[in-house]
Amino acid sequence: MMNIGVNVGALGGHLAGWRHRDSWHPTLMRLDNVILAATLAERGKLDMIFLADGNGVRQMDKPDLFAANSPSNRPAVFEPVTLFAAVSQHTSHVGFVATATTTYEEPFTLARKFASLDHISGGRCGWNLVTTSYPEDARNFSKEEHLPREQRYERAREFADVVRGLWDSWAEDAFPQDQASGRYLEPSLVHAQNHKGKYFSVRGPLNCPRTPQGRPVIFSAGQSTHGIETSAYCADAVFASVPTKADGMAYFADVKGRMAKYGRSPDELKIMPGLSICVAATATEADELFDELQDLIPIELGVAYLSKLLDTNLSAYPLDGPLPEIEGADVGTTAAGRQMADQAKRDGATIRQMSRKILASTTGTMFKGSPRQVADEMEDWYRSQACDGFMISNPVMPRGLQAVVDLLIPELQRRGLFRTEYPGRTLRETMGLKTPVNPYFAVPTLAAE
Amino acid sequence: MMNLLTMPNLTGGHLGGWRHKDNWSDIIMNFDRIVELTRIAERGKFDAIFLADGNAVREMDKTELFAANWPSARPVGFEPVTLLTALSQHTKHIGLAATATTTYEEPYLLARKFASLDHLSKGRAGWNVVTTSNAGDSQNFGLEQHVARDIRYERAREFVEVAKGLWDSWADDAFPVDKASGRFLEPSRVHTLNHEGTHFKVKGPLNITRPPQGYPVMFMAGQSQPGRELAAQYADALFGAGDTKESCQEVYADIKRRMAKYGRDPDHLRIIPGVSFFVGRTSAEAQEHYEELQSLISPSLGVHYLSKIVFKDLSGYPIDGPMPEIDEEVVGGTSLRSYILDFAKRDKLTIRQTYERTVPSIGHAVFKGTATEVADQMEDWYRGKACDGFMVSVPTVPRGLSDFVDLVVPELQRRGLFRKDYGGPTLRETMGLPIPENPVFSVPAIAAE
Repeated sequence: MMNIGVNVGALGGHLAGWRHRDSWHPTLMRLDNVILAATLAERGKLDMIFLADGNGVRQMDKPDLFAANSPSNRPAVFEPVTLFAAVSQHTSHVGFVATATTTYEEPFTLARKFASLDHISGGRCGWNLVTTSYPEDARNFSKEEHLPREQRYERAREFADVVRGLWDSWAEDAFPQDQASGRYLEPSLVHAQNHKGKYFSVRGPLNCPRTPQGRPVIFSAGQSTHGIETSAYCADAVFASVPTKADGMAYFADVKGRMAKYGRSPDELKIMPGLSICVAATATEADELFDELQDLIPIELGVAYLSKLLDTNLSAYPLDGPLPEIEGADVGTTAAGRQMADQAKRDGATIRQMSRKILASTTGTMFKGSPRQVADEMEDWYRSQACDGFMISNPVMPRGLQAVVDLLIPELQRRGLFRTEYPGRTLRETMGLKTPVNPYFAVPTLAAE
Repeated sequence: MMNLLTMPNLTGGHLGGWRHKDNWSDIIMNFDRIVELTRIAERGKFDAIFLADGNAVREMDKTELFAANWPSARPVGFEPVTLLTALSQHTKHIGLAATATTTYEEPYLLARKFASLDHLSKGRAGWNVVTTSNAGDSQNFGLEQHVARDIRYERAREFVEVAKGLWDSWADDAFPVDKASGRFLEPSRVHTLNHEGTHFKVKGPLNITRPPQGYPVMFMAGQSQPGRELAAQYADALFGAGDTKESCQEVYADIKRRMAKYGRDPDHLRIIPGVSFFVGRTSAEAQEHYEELQSLISPSLGVHYLSKIVFKDLSGYPIDGPMPEIDEEVVGGTSLRSYILDFAKRDKLTIRQTYERTVPSIGHAVFKGTATEVADQMEDWYRGKACDGFMVSVPTVPRGLSDFVDLVVPELQRRGLFRKDYGGPTLRETMGLPIPENPVFSVPAIAAE
């Protein structure tokens, strides 16, 4: 069964999404919008809603881009874990995946808030582990320099070890709460991790019991070798950024192929490429929506946006000339930018063409058309083992999500590719992931006499 | 008008509370019960609920105490800000306050989560600023040793400055979100803090709009000299204070006097001592409830408990002999420890008498009797300038809280001491506190020609 999550950023996935007449208004910091999106996602039996996140106000040095805002800027948003705690009270099955960074947070604090969200939501929480690619965020955390990628990922893996250990602090039966005897808890059924590593020393135990799912579901992204290795090591699901089915297949094989050395089976990790979906009742209607959106972006803004993604100022180059050769810096260059530059080179595209193209989607790939056309492409990727599902975004919110739920999901259900009911209550049950055994309190198998 | 707050603690406020027949029995991570308790407090028009907090499982080395649990040990619980955000969806008026430490958190992350709570609750957030007196917590954050008190307070002061500066990042009109022009935000209406201090370097701005209350209501505790000074400068409300009317009067006068040098109105800091209430329909019923609870504490548990609070093992001393002389300073020593040692010395108590007096109240005052009797004491303290309100600790839940709400609150209302209904939507309005202007974007007064 396919896994489908949706990015519920209120601006929509297209750079001009918020300007479209069918988009939410007002857009800024609206809890009711997120509740509506979560309810829609739940009606469509989607696995989860997702929010990207960062710890900084970005693009302030580029006033045009800053004033126009883009879906990945997020100048003013709710903190995602608190937001999902609120939204969980208005839903019963859909999962919540919040981004949090291993570079600036403390493992104890992070483990605690995600465990708490898992309890509050009845086992529907996921943590998107990121190391923060945006270098300027460092300056909000008393640091002058962004950590180089290799160290960020080394830290991330140790961070994940500590967090998982903390989540396993208590046995299920540690709390008799016996009013008669006065025994509230069982001191032998708690485990202190006493972790001492390169980046962290954390004694434990966590002051929160094991969660309804055992542990919250861990997501990761990252296209670099370090990112892929970290995913194979500890992620339950991966947000991939792959432009074509062939890239998806290669990525799928690469990540899953690395899991064996960590003693993991390939089905313990779900690969969900980012996918922008522009679906409507007919292909013509989908094209119209797309063209309306493209027309809302002046070309200067498109070039500014492309410049930002490639970390190179393109405004001095001729619009109808080729993309200049770009020196790849390691720190701060994202997978999406690298992919865009490679593609331009491959296709011999001009700056104008690339600027128009980038506006279409901030998540890489776009499937556009009638429900049948979009479902065909999704089915093709899924059956070709290019993915286990998709993390979708919609160009205009909530119209796009409404169309997905009303038109596309029924088509996928008819084909037997997507669930018609939730199988249980927890996100792990929904996603087809096992509840992890607590290694400190596993029941030993008794040998037969 | 008096301020009333309470802690929605499912173990009750008495060490034997959770064992009493009138206390709920299934209390581990029981979110629904916390919702129910919060609604009882809202029915009683309480200003706020408050969640105490720490970042460790404590007392693991004292097995008997650990297994028995006691109200401030909190071996497991929800992370408070996620919990309050979820509770905000089940309530409309009551304030939602939680402890967070300046010693182990990052200002950017903390400012963000409390701003998010304030938005999601429509202006009902409170932050209890603590520096963490429990030395063991440091080992969950990579520190070998507890940070000394002076340094903790110095860091706290800078932390509060940074948090306020971050909350002031955006002007209220910074986001036109104009679909027609494509102008999402106004780049001139954001302020970059650029803080560089002894403990933190935080660039800003914060990636969330200014909280509805300007700043969440800031609570403090801490009776030490640096604690009092910090409160006089920054706090909107102060917990603790003393166990007698006279000791509270001393703190009250001292703190309010200190406020003048910061140019603050004494009414803008509310002093809220904790008091344990044992209320009955008759004096006899109240006394009976009290004795039932005391009988649930074995002498051995009582001595262990007292030993822990005064940082001295008392188990080797005769239980009916005098409290030994204890005057050494200890790392992590609290104001609670000083109160207990003071009253034991003052009233020449035995060890048994000292724990019996400590157990029902965790050191602070006990008001016991009918609604009239209890209201008389409250009125006496309030009119005698010993306090501006009370942190109402109830021995059992839900009985203790519903009795207080059904019996005492109407009596206070009859006397004109307590509100009959909520006024404005925010916690600041409920508590009678001003909403601070944004100093960065305040409109300058235009001089008359």
